[in-house]
Amino acid sequence: MSKLTRETLNKIKQEHAKPRNNWIKVGMSTCGIAAGADIVLETIKQEVKKRNLAVTVGQCGCAGKCYAEPLVEVCIDGVPQVIYGNVDKKSAIEIIERHVANKKLLNDHIYNVKGK
Amino acid sequence: MSGKNDKKIILVCDTDGKQREADYADMITSVLSEEKLDGQVQVIRVAELGIYGQGVIVKILPENIIYKISDETAIAELVSEVIKKNKTLKESVLEDNPKQLKIVLRNCGIIDPENIDDYIALDGYQALSRVIFDSSPEEVIAQLKISGLRGRGGGGFPTATKWNFARRTEADQKYIICNADEGDPGAYMDRSVLEGDPHSVIEGMIIGGFAIGADKGYFYIRAEYPLAIERVQKAIEQAREYGLLGENILGSDFNFDLDIRLGAGAFVCGEETALIASIEGKRGCPTPRPPYPSIKGLWGKPTVINNVETLANIAVILLKGAKWFAAIGSATSKGTKVFALTGKVKNSGLIEVPMGITIREIVYEIGGGVFEDKKLKAVQTGGPSGGVIPKEFLDTPVDYENLQKLGSIMGSGGMIVLDEDDCMVDIAKFYLRFCVDESCGKCAPCRIGGFQMLNYLKDISRGKASQGDLLKLENICNSVKKASLCGLGQTAPNPILSTLKYFRVEYDQHINDHRCAAKKCTDLLRFVISKEKCVSCGMCSRDCPVNAIPKNENKEYIINQELCIKCGKCFDVCKFDAVIRE
Repeated sequence: MSKLTRETLNKIKQEHAKPRNNWIKVGMSTCGIAAGADIVLETIKQEVKKRNLAVTVGQCGCAGKCYAEPLVEVCIDGVPQVIYGNVDKKSAIEIIERHVANKKLLNDHIYNVKGK
Repeated sequence: MSGKNDKKIILVCDTDGKQREADYADMITSVLSEEKLDGQVQVIRVAELGIYGQGVIVKILPENIIYKISDETAIAELVSEVIKKNKTLKESVLEDNPKQLKIVLRNCGIIDPENIDDYIALDGYQALSRVIFDSSPEEVIAQLKISGLRGRGGGGFPTATKWNFARRTEADQKYIICNADEGDPGAYMDRSVLEGDPHSVIEGMIIGGFAIGADKGYFYIRAEYPLAIERVQKAIEQAREYGLLGENILGSDFNFDLDIRLGAGAFVCGEETALIASIEGKRGCPTPRPPYPSIKGLWGKPTVINNVETLANIAVILLKGAKWFAAIGSATSKGTKVFALTGKVKNSGLIEVPMGITIREIVYEIGGGVFEDKKLKAVQTGGPSGGVIPKEFLDTPVDYENLQKLGSIMGSGGMIVLDEDDCMVDIAKFYLRFCVDESCGKCAPCRIGGFQMLNYLKDISRGKASQGDLLKLENICNSVKKASLCGLGQTAPNPILSTLKYFRVEYDQHINDHRCAAKKCTDLLRFVISKEKCVSCGMCSRDCPVNAIPKNENKEYIINQELCIKCGKCFDVCKFDAVIRE
């Protein structure tokens, strides 16, 4: 990486600010990891690889709902963007099968909806 | 978002979280299938929609409208009008009125904390670039002054004033320190910010360095936060590679660099003079102020010490404008405050609210109410330096002055909800024991006074104290408050004084009647087994660590009071509520 100037800083901003679709984010702060987020992240990565899905899997910090950790945010074309809470290995696989592959929401795990 | 999908989705949410006989999602599904609409509409049971105590609600997507559903008629109406005819039922619409406002936590849970580009994409380092090229140190401080930002570590000292002191003091070297030695029991605001958005704090520090004329900064993070340390370290390295730290930042002639220093787990090192001593490699003991660190701090040089949350506010204020920030909050306290909401609350977690919000709104509308729907007794704020706010004052707007008036403090952001099962003497004892453990021992009032106060509290909780002892306790509290060297000692009596102020009755009960109404102080309790309820299962006998409950198959079990150590094991394991505390 080269040292930034004001112009190159703005260039990075513009390049990365483009809205993206088809991603999954797992809350990987201490609260999430304590509740098993590392296992959930690993499971999701494996499932995505196994099924050869065009989905980016990433991590983020604490979204505040520590009581519902591990939290997994899913943004897939054609399905409302939601945050799933209390996710474990089993429901992580369900998210991939039902939400990502079949474009249907999961019961009982949604903790926030971010519109369409 | 791409992908046309006009299919409706009905999200069903029970905001009371109770067990209901009828499943509303199933009921809606069956009405839909009667109408032969089940193929076109998806019904999903959700855990939460951010609304509490409103019974069953539904959110219709993609319209994003919330309705309250009280009975079957409402379901029929929902299906026939909203789903079939695509109408809006104006009378039943429930307004979603979010109580939280995320400024400090703006990126937490959104960006990847280990990727600097994610932060840059969301206006990261824009404030820095503006400050360096379009502004001056004086202007930055003037902006902060207009914003009204005050220290979020608990004291509430105006940040602009602190920076200005350091700016005006002439020296060949100045420092800025980020205090991330978060130690209050139950508080983890700083940890979450550092783990979720480390660059926002780094940017705040670089701007601080620019404003006061420092070219060196330190993160002082407690060693118990390994993940926060790792992420801050990565963030510093990435910023350095991008030339956002180091020499000639963004091609300008401004130099600034950062390093991490670890705290070894001493609570007192969160006090600024002790923190400085710790960074200098000395024993973490406080020294008298003045001189204040902004005049004479680290290695005798002017040093600004700011809390994590304060620093995370800086970039946003400069980017969105001081006036925007000053419009949020109450008359004396501007902006937002992050709280770690814990204790007997349904939704414990990290929240950020505008100053001036009431405690009731925080507990009931964000926290979802008291755990198991018990009665709220009080809310503790400010950790071991703070106090309790009884339920009578739940409608007090939260700001620095109001909480102080009530005998508590804003503190760094711990907020612990206490219910009817919490004993106030026990709470005071818990916090005081913490301070006694963490006292550095340098000054006598804190070292000896703390020990004596704790002894009196122990006696009270055992029912072995007199009213005279209570007066002596109060006396020592006031002396320790006045005579201690640093904030730890000066505020250590606060939990006692504030519980005494509002819950003296509980102290009196312990002293006069040898009774603990909340059944927390085990020395005042007796565990007995109810003849009527006992089914002779033998669980208590098996689990008793001192064999105080002899095996007595097919007959009632009795606790031998002479052997009983009141550990409460039998009470916990009995599934028939046969073990009674009295």
